[in-house]
Amino acid sequence: MSTEAIPAEKPKRNFNALFGLTLLGLLVLMWIVLAVATPSFATALNITNLLRQGSLIAILAVGQTFVIITGGIDLSVGAIVGFTTVIVALLINAGWPIWVAVLVTLLVGVAIGLFHGFGIVKMGLPPFIITLATMTSLRGIGLLMTNGNSISINSDSFQAFSRGSLAGIPYLFWMVILVAVPSYIFLHHTRWGRYLFSVGSNAEAARLSGVNVPRTIYMAYVLSGLLAAFVGVLLASRIGIGNPTQGDTYELQAIASSVIGGTSLFGAIGSVHGPLIGSFILSTINNGANLLNVNTFWQRVITGALIIVIVYFDGLRRRGK
Amino acid sequence: MTSTAQDLHPAPTLAPGRTILELNGLEKRYPGTHALKPVHLAFKAGEIHAIVGENGAGKSTLIKLLTGVMPRTSGEVIWEGKPAALATPHEAMALGINAVHQEVVLCRHLTVAANMFLGEEESRFGLLQQRAMVKEAQKIIDGLGFDLPAHVVLGDLTIGQQQLIAAARATVRGTKFLIFDEPTAYLTRKEADQLFKLIRRLKGDGVTIIYISHRMEEVFELADRVSVLRDGTLVGTRDIAETDEPELVKLMINRSIEQIYHKEHFTPGARIVETKNLSGKGFENVSVTVRAGEIVGLYGLIGAGRSEFVTTLYGRHRKSAGQILWEGKEVQVNSEHDAIRLGMALAPESRRDQGLCLNLPVGINLNLPIYKRISSNFLISGAKEKTEADRQIADLRIKTPTRNALASSLSGGNQQKIVIGKWLAHGAKLFIFDEPTVGVDVGTKAEIYRLFSTLLSKGAGIILISSYLPEVYELADTLHVFRRGKLVATHGFRTASHEDILGQALAEKQEKSGGQK
Ligand SMILES: Nc1ncnc2c1ncn2[C@@H]1O[C@H](COP(=O)(O)OP(=O)(O)OP(=O)(O)O)[C@@H](O)[C@H]1O
Ligand SMILES: [Mg+2]
Repeated sequence: MSTEAIPAEKPKRNFNALFGLTLLGLLVLMWIVLAVATPSFATALNITNLLRQGSLIAILAVGQTFVIITGGIDLSVGAIVGFTTVIVALLINAGWPIWVAVLVTLLVGVAIGLFHGFGIVKMGLPPFIITLATMTSLRGIGLLMTNGNSISINSDSFQAFSRGSLAGIPYLFWMVILVAVPSYIFLHHTRWGRYLFSVGSNAEAARLSGVNVPRTIYMAYVLSGLLAAFVGVLLASRIGIGNPTQGDTYELQAIASSVIGGTSLFGAIGSVHGPLIGSFILSTINNGANLLNVNTFWQRVITGALIIVIVYFDGLRRRGK
Repeated sequence: MTSTAQDLHPAPTLAPGRTILELNGLEKRYPGTHALKPVHLAFKAGEIHAIVGENGAGKSTLIKLLTGVMPRTSGEVIWEGKPAALATPHEAMALGINAVHQEVVLCRHLTVAANMFLGEEESRFGLLQQRAMVKEAQKIIDGLGFDLPAHVVLGDLTIGQQQLIAAARATVRGTKFLIFDEPTAYLTRKEADQLFKLIRRLKGDGVTIIYISHRMEEVFELADRVSVLRDGTLVGTRDIAETDEPELVKLMINRSIEQIYHKEHFTPGARIVETKNLSGKGFENVSVTVRAGEIVGLYGLIGAGRSEFVTTLYGRHRKSAGQILWEGKEVQVNSEHDAIRLGMALAPESRRDQGLCLNLPVGINLNLPIYKRISSNFLISGAKEKTEADRQIADLRIKTPTRNALASSLSGGNQQKIVIGKWLAHGAKLFIFDEPTVGVDVGTKAEIYRLFSTLLSKGAGIILISSYLPEVYELADTLHVFRRGKLVATHGFRTASHEDILGQALAEKQEKSGGQK
């Protein structure tokens, strides 16, 4: 006899999938509208361009989501992107083989992530503060290293990568898939992903269950730093220079993508597909506004307003459930 | 059943009756508090050992030391003959020591199954075996006789159900030594029975159990031996057959109490509040009247709609139909602010989520509702703030080093006293107490009940919600029974038997067995 009947609800996972779908629906709807409204939207050139634009933020958003799920935030990713364009440019220009240069650059991202973990776990700093500090100082270090100049990369094969395509899809977008699939498996199908959620939900409970909470926090920031460095490499390839001021406001776009994609800033709620869709919604807004000849100043205003609207309706839907 | 039980844990290695765990001068100091003075105590393999004591006596502290949640200040813990460091929860679990903590510490966002296996997930090639874990969790839950689904998100369950999951979880981890810290505080009677069955079965399997509770009848029902802590000192250990309740209470508080349920009858005065067919989320058609000088008890299972009813009355949620009359006039209560202005005060049920600002000092928590009164010209009067807080701390005997200590550093029961205490100085006309004595020790319970009388004598009315039948039974002048969001029966002071009331709260078939008003 059950005195307090529990509605036999399906697990939240299904709900997540559904939410992903509605966002996807919104994205597809935007595409259809733009395809009808402008002649230039549905051209191969524009679509590949759109995919290239969205890819970088999409990868950042995935890393950001890992951090947000633990209840933290990583403000430094834009600065890491700028900084690592410099690192990879310097290394390649110094004659290092490309793969070594890339690997070392990725390790720089890991090191920055470790530093964040150290600040949070060992020094007890709030994530907001430690990553804010890195955000400003990394750009400073980069400027010191380059004397404020851009470094143009003298390797054609490195730059060719970002222009190339496979099966009609730009390499850059393939990189999103390369990141997204393992990230999805990691987040939803491994114990480490589970621990990210548990730390964001109730760190004390996680600790009492034998979860290594400090290590989990390190892991989240390392992943975020690593993915940011990866984006730095991709951006360097795309623009062909190393410049520490690149990637301006990328961190905010990544956070916005993540939140549009259903991630809760209070932690413990988030997915991989949500932020991906969120980032492509953002880049579609920009792309569409360009094609429709909307004043660039207005674009910013519209983007801000849309973030509020989308997240508000998401909240409504959640509460309505 | 037995086969599942064997799946749950390996047979403990020690013969029953031998010492499995020994405390050798175990001691704990927090800054400002000597929570546990050196304790010597030996637990025998396979026994149920109850630990009782006042709020703040050091019971939970002892548990935290044994489970590696906190480091000890000094002393030794001998596990199966060998000293154990117990520096991390992980180490305690590896030895087979597990605990169900006083506050449910699980992850609300994860599923029941994910919580049950948190920290020990099954995976193959690094991938979680989710389906297998849900199935296994369900098997364990079913094997324990709990009627709960394993695939739902934990936060969707009631606190009582979550507590059962916490218990089920503790049993799956190769447990040899299991500690329950006030496990029944949030359980309904039926859930408590399920838990007792589980505890007895674990004992049958040779697991050693520590059982902490403020409810004496549970101690006598379950335990083989009982130890009493007072102010961090172990003041006695008894075989259960050789002791009785008055002796334990005397050991606990160093004085005797003739009567816990202090009840004075006042002639009911004018109507303070009246609801007419009030409906809202979680309850419908509830008509209740509270008059000056009376206690109206609302009894029912957790989840029966009582809390929803009072929070709606309090303006927290919108009513969907019906009327609220305040002193005879219809009023609209659209917010808590409206309610407080009318003269209502609500001490909510969940102290962690609703009742306390855990990271603020005790004094601020106590004064929160009355800052208006203790300020003049926008400035808070420091002196008044101090005296008000200190008076409450003294009146309720809240155990805290100073009023500046953080609420989070208090023992569970003492936190509960703050939740109650902050409304007492407020001078409201209608007090709503939702589960006011959860986790509160006997001495303080008596204290709180006496305070009820004081409030009544000043012309206030009280709505008392409790899932603990003796409490409402012995105190309420009018007792309403709720079931599934409906008011199903009404009784006068002690006019029905316990069995009848329980039956009305549970019954599926015997509809309307009570005298419905
Ligand atoms: N983290 C902490 N920091 C400082 N003091 C603490 C802390 N935790 C507990 N205390 C103090 O230690 C003493 C013992 O607390 P403990 O939680 O062990 O009591 P308890 O016997 O479990 O009481 P209850 O029945 O109310 O749960 C209390 O005076 C409490 O204020
Ligand atoms: Mg306690």
